[in-house]
Amino acid sequence: MDKIENIFLKIGSVDRRWIFIVIAVVVIIPLLVPIGLPIRATDTSKSVYDAIEALPKGSNVLLSIEYSPSTKPENHPMTISIMRHLFRNDQKVYVTCLWPDGQFMAQDALKQVAEGEFNKTYGEDYVLLGYRPGGEAVVKGIVSNIRKLFSVDAKQTKVDDIPMMDGITNFKDFDFLFSASAGYPGTIEWVQYAADPTGVPMSSGVTSIQVNEVMPYVQSGQMVGVLAGMPGAAEYESLINQKGSATSGMDAQSVAHLVIVLFIVLGNISFFIERKRSRKY
Amino acid sequence: MEFSTILGAWVAAFLTIGIFSYLYKDNPFYKAAEHLFVGVSAGYLLSLGFWTQLQPNLFGRLFPAKHYDPDTITYTIYNVLSFFSSSIFPEGGIDKGHDQHLTYLIPLALGVMMLLSLIPRFSWMARWGIAYVVGMAAGLKAYGYLNSNVLGQIKGTAVNLLDFSLPVFSLSSPSIFNNIIIFVGTICGLLYFYFSKEHKGLLGKASKIGIYFLMISFGASFGFAVMGRISLLIGRFTDLIKYSGSEYNYATFWVLFIIVGALGYAAYKEEDRGVIAPIDNLGSSTEEE
Repeated sequence: MDKIENIFLKIGSVDRRWIFIVIAVVVIIPLLVPIGLPIRATDTSKSVYDAIEALPKGSNVLLSIEYSPSTKPENHPMTISIMRHLFRNDQKVYVTCLWPDGQFMAQDALKQVAEGEFNKTYGEDYVLLGYRPGGEAVVKGIVSNIRKLFSVDAKQTKVDDIPMMDGITNFKDFDFLFSASAGYPGTIEWVQYAADPTGVPMSSGVTSIQVNEVMPYVQSGQMVGVLAGMPGAAEYESLINQKGSATSGMDAQSVAHLVIVLFIVLGNISFFIERKRSRKY
Repeated sequence: MEFSTILGAWVAAFLTIGIFSYLYKDNPFYKAAEHLFVGVSAGYLLSLGFWTQLQPNLFGRLFPAKHYDPDTITYTIYNVLSFFSSSIFPEGGIDKGHDQHLTYLIPLALGVMMLLSLIPRFSWMARWGIAYVVGMAAGLKAYGYLNSNVLGQIKGTAVNLLDFSLPVFSLSSPSIFNNIIIFVGTICGLLYFYFSKEHKGLLGKASKIGIYFLMISFGASFGFAVMGRISLLIGRFTDLIKYSGSEYNYATFWVLFIIVGALGYAAYKEEDRGVIAPIDNLGSSTEEE
């Protein structure tokens, strides 16, 4: 018994750099050799899909990009999938950014989806209004008078000269809001200052770390579903039948989780053995 | 492939592996990547903030092209400014679709006051700008928080425990069981934060149940945090794998070879001088924490 306990103690005191190496290996291998684990959509992801699917053709959808390259692996696949879904259903997409880097992320996604895959026309089918600093003040500005805040779009074209901006003066002129968010300002500010006061339905795709913060709004009906981190993005990819980077990352995600759980179990066993021995002596 | 794309891949590979090298120990590659990130972020934010907000929405309202009249005082000042920077103040006024609103001189003055904090003699003036921002933010937050986080959440947790139209048990959809969990969890969680009475007897038991609910919530937060970090790691590895191809001239392999080689050589020299413990001492973690 002592021998087994000693093995666990040795595992418990292993240099953390070995753990980093093991995690790196278990993440890289499934990326190089995909396993193809099944992906099943959760109810929260299905709610987002159903809400967008239920929108009548030609609806005005505000897509707000609130993330930077640092969370690109989680948020970008969601944005791309949502854009694919919106453009496939011929919705009008208005893109704003509460984060400065969000503008680049939006440009990247629009170039890939709107131009590359659907051949949509800028100014008629989609518009990139761009970034404005100010956090919740920007959200308030969009709610009260979007034209006051965005007199020009990201290309410095006057919004009065953009055909699809006709009849758009405030947040109530949109039929749906989707916020791709990685923190502040983001989803929570949209709920507090836009969706709740106006009643315009909204949904969100958030980083994993934000899920617990955002979930109460989903449970209470203040938001229609949520895409939770990379798994949420992968689920949405499966819902629209178009696999992307999130799906290919899910094998690595699952294997890495198993290994982390194993490390936690081993660490706890080692901790309890150590505590037992220290009490003994 | 364009040269700029290949160069971008090399820079990305260098910065990614440079940041990862911190997992071994603090080193100049990590520091270079970190400093570059901070500097570029600050510069980018400043530039974007100026060209997307200050220039079109502030200067564009003070000196709009549609009201341009070189004989007025406003536009005389504008022409002087235009002489110094024609990109910010183009000839004939700023054409961003605004009317002239001289009330925007107030935010301009408050903004300038905030910048005066850099001059010790006038730093007191910064308080006015800060006071406005704090007051405005507090007022804005108070309404949004009360409406969505207090009233909205109370509405969300006010469930009917005896709604027999719902199934008795269902984990993923509304059910009587879930309603009871919401009710008990909310009440017990709140009681845990009630400190006006000693947590004994019924209150003690209820607050203990509240702790379990909080612990489950913290556990879920931890799980999601781990998931998020692994997702980011996957993102970086996906890019590194992409950059290791021949079309990028094997950027990842070369950068990895250079960084690992340099760190290995530095460790060897330091070990030789007796500065650090030998590398093969990875078996013990006692020095880590």
